[in-house]
Amino acid sequence: MKNFAILAAAMICLVDFNSCETTSFAPPPVTAELAREGTGQHGDIATLREGRTLFVSRCIECHTLPAVSSHSAQEWPRLIDEMAGRANLKPTEREAVLAYVLALRTR
Amino acid sequence: VILPVAHSAVKRLRFLCICILALAPCVSVGGVRHFTFLYEANTSAPGSLELENWITWQRATGPGRFDQVDFRHELEYGVTDRFQVSVYLADWFYENNREHSGFAYSDSAIELIYNLTNPVVDPVGVSIYGEVKAGDRLLELESKLIAQKNFGPLILAYNATLEAVWEGNDLTQDEGEFSQALGASYEISPPISVGVELLHEFVFPEWRNEENIRNLFVGPNVSYRRRNWFVTVTALAQATDTEDEPNFQVRTIFGIGL
Repeated sequence: MKNFAILAAAMICLVDFNSCETTSFAPPPVTAELAREGTGQHGDIATLREGRTLFVSRCIECHTLPAVSSHSAQEWPRLIDEMAGRANLKPTEREAVLAYVLALRTR
Repeated sequence: VILPVAHSAVKRLRFLCICILALAPCVSVGGVRHFTFLYEANTSAPGSLELENWITWQRATGPGRFDQVDFRHELEYGVTDRFQVSVYLADWFYENNREHSGFAYSDSAIELIYNLTNPVVDPVGVSIYGEVKAGDRLLELESKLIAQKNFGPLILAYNATLEAVWEGNDLTQDEGEFSQALGASYEISPPISVGVELLHEFVFPEWRNEENIRNLFVGPNVSYRRRNWFVTVTALAQATDTEDEPNFQVRTIFGIGL
């Protein structure tokens, strides 16, 4: 019972810690501002939202999520092309992920 | 000694592997495991199919010493963005103890995982898990709560598992087991992660609390992934002193996207 209490306390600390730190690790949400900046160049707001949803769910099936700034805007299309098959992304989903990443990268 | 039922299972396994290879060009990888004694909250991409082979070696020393090697062949399929189904085609094992040694078929199973929240953007990623296992004089129901949080390259995971097992000729021997597992994995480079896993088991023979057995295992893990395959290995040592339980166990999972 004591061990269980220790583990429960560890989980509570984890959740508590997480509440302060999540925003620094999670990729930014799609805002109207981001969509405006990306409109025409990278995609509409619905596409960017789909891209973010896919980015935070499909990519983590194989690896942790890289910071968008860790690769240049020129590198991202090749990287996403390489991994689209593994993540089972359809062409439109691949475009949505790329649109979201490039909208952030070129902001 | 190989039991006839094991021969039958191997034949069925061979047939299923041929079917899977025929489908191979249509589908892709299911997902990489960073742990072997814990499940992660994210589920496989819809339409993805993966074959996972598990090997677990357990060794106990002392009066009741034994070696046992368990094998599992699992097919994992992503049904939707949040739901995946797995089939354990065959669980079989080799055991070597003072009384006998040999191979035997154990069971087959179906496993369902439903993801509720995302470990990156939500406060905690949560999934629920259900499994039904049936085999030679064995019936087992298992449910699991899976929690996970990703902090950049660090993954923290927690599993709470409740199992009900019926064994024996008329499935009259029953026991319950509650276990919890905690794991941390750090991605040191894109293809490699290292971490630690902790497994804490409470076994209740006949569901009686006064006869419960408690085991604590802890040890390191390493995971390597490349293209459409991965391999993850965990070595656990028993931190308690429970007789008839393994002193250490090593589990390897090799997964390949089909």
